[in-house]
Amino acid sequence: MSPRLESFLVGGTTFVAFLLLWQTTVSLGLIDPLFVSSPTRIWLASRSLLDDPDFWRDVGVSANEFATGYLAAIAVAIPLGLVVGWYRRAHYLLGPFIDAMNAVPRVTFLPIIVVWFGIGLWSKFAVVFLGAVIPIIISTQAGVRASEARFLRVARSFGASQLMIFSSIVLPGTVPFIFTGLKYAAGRALLGVVVGELYASTAGLGHMIAEAGNTFQTDVLFFGVLLFTATGLVTTGILDRIEKRFERWRPQPAGTR
Amino acid sequence: MTRPHHLLRFYLAHERAILGLAALLALLVCWEGLGRGWWADLLSPLIGRAADALRLKPIFVSSPSAVAAAAWSLFWVTGKIWPHLAASGLELLIGLALSILVGVPLGLVCGRYRLLSHAVAPFVSALNATPQVALLPLVVLWIGTGLGARVFIIFLLTVLPLFINAHAAVRTTDPRLVTVARSFAATEWFMFRSVIAPSAIPFLLAGLRLAIGRGMIGIVVGELYGGATGVGFMINRAGALFETDVVFVGVFAIVAAGLVLTEGVRRIEISVSAWRAPIEGA
Repeated sequence: MSPRLESFLVGGTTFVAFLLLWQTTVSLGLIDPLFVSSPTRIWLASRSLLDDPDFWRDVGVSANEFATGYLAAIAVAIPLGLVVGWYRRAHYLLGPFIDAMNAVPRVTFLPIIVVWFGIGLWSKFAVVFLGAVIPIIISTQAGVRASEARFLRVARSFGASQLMIFSSIVLPGTVPFIFTGLKYAAGRALLGVVVGELYASTAGLGHMIAEAGNTFQTDVLFFGVLLFTATGLVTTGILDRIEKRFERWRPQPAGTR
Repeated sequence: MTRPHHLLRFYLAHERAILGLAALLALLVCWEGLGRGWWADLLSPLIGRAADALRLKPIFVSSPSAVAAAAWSLFWVTGKIWPHLAASGLELLIGLALSILVGVPLGLVCGRYRLLSHAVAPFVSALNATPQVALLPLVVLWIGTGLGARVFIIFLLTVLPLFINAHAAVRTTDPRLVTVARSFAATEWFMFRSVIAPSAIPFLLAGLRLAIGRGMIGIVVGELYGGATGVGFMINRAGALFETDVVFVGVFAIVAAGLVLTEGVRRIEISVSAWRAPIEGA
């Protein structure tokens, strides 16, 4: 049996067993479904939510917050990371701020962001942006620094211009690092959406989860959490795909498949 | 003739520190200027009333001097921050301790036994992909908004890095050592204690460093959402009362705590791996 198949079978079995156990304990009345819901209840809740225009409005709001904040973070962080990684003086100037920001959970700024931007979309854009921008900057600059020294020496001894070195050696070498940062940042961005909406909001999936918690609609709550899980998985999957495409030119090291 | 030369040499030798400090000072001056309306005063002869846009209310931006004054008062005059720090510290301590007690043994065992690893894999990857704080309303539903809920959310955030690193640590134990131990009929317990554990410790400490960072998120988010003590609560209430300086004091306190804790773990990492032969020689 191939290891992949084994992993799938064993994992799948325990997962199904878990769902069955969950369902039967609730059906037999051992646990109050008010607290833990049950797989069938979550399924029914999802069916009725999918027909509900309010639900789609929440999805739209959260998707907008996530996409806008995350894309803005990418647009700022990749150029900035390249500059900070490439120019020593830029690193000296900005490094301390980047490191300090990296040490704080950016959600700490939420109360002040709400003072600045209110409880609407803009505060969510800000918190998602702040969450995502730092990891991308850090891994991009690390990628630039990790450029293969031998390649740089060869290029210099053949009289390559700075621009040529940058675009044909440094940039391609940095791509895997950028993707590592992007994947990590996607998680941070999602965290920003959730926390921002739990903290203060009038719409969005986080808002839906919070309200479901307050009104004991555990099934809706679980469905909302599952949507966030799915978003996390799908985003990472998409990024993996794009990364593979970017990395196709790279020769595979011997012995790997 | 030689003076500028010396200065230049001094600058080049300490360029990093000088530029870093200069940037920090520039930021502080800009910030203080915004809080006190310096920039508006400076630019108003040039651009007239448009400069008033730079006259921000102190409740919006505060200023470094106001933050310093608030910090002084919170720490040494009224001492109001200490109970909050103690409450948050306690949460982090209990949450991390639980995570270590659950995550590390589970990770070690799953790393050693393949079937078990496959069995928990779906749950681990699902929890890993979820922003765990989304479970906060559920946790509150289960155990209220007290200490328990906050400890639980810290646990949820910190258990995965510890589990994943413990798992990886077993997988990367030198297989030659495992083979030798097995051919000398080592018991499983001996294997864990004398072969796997020593080589796992650096991984576990690295996991702990990650977990501390996540735990900080847990403190802040758990306390933003409910509760009546803790640094996160202090920040939250100060934000609601527009006491921007207190918000910044809280943020800086969390930064400082995070830096001190992770640096402490890094020190331990260095000291426990001192006995290890350098990798290059292997």
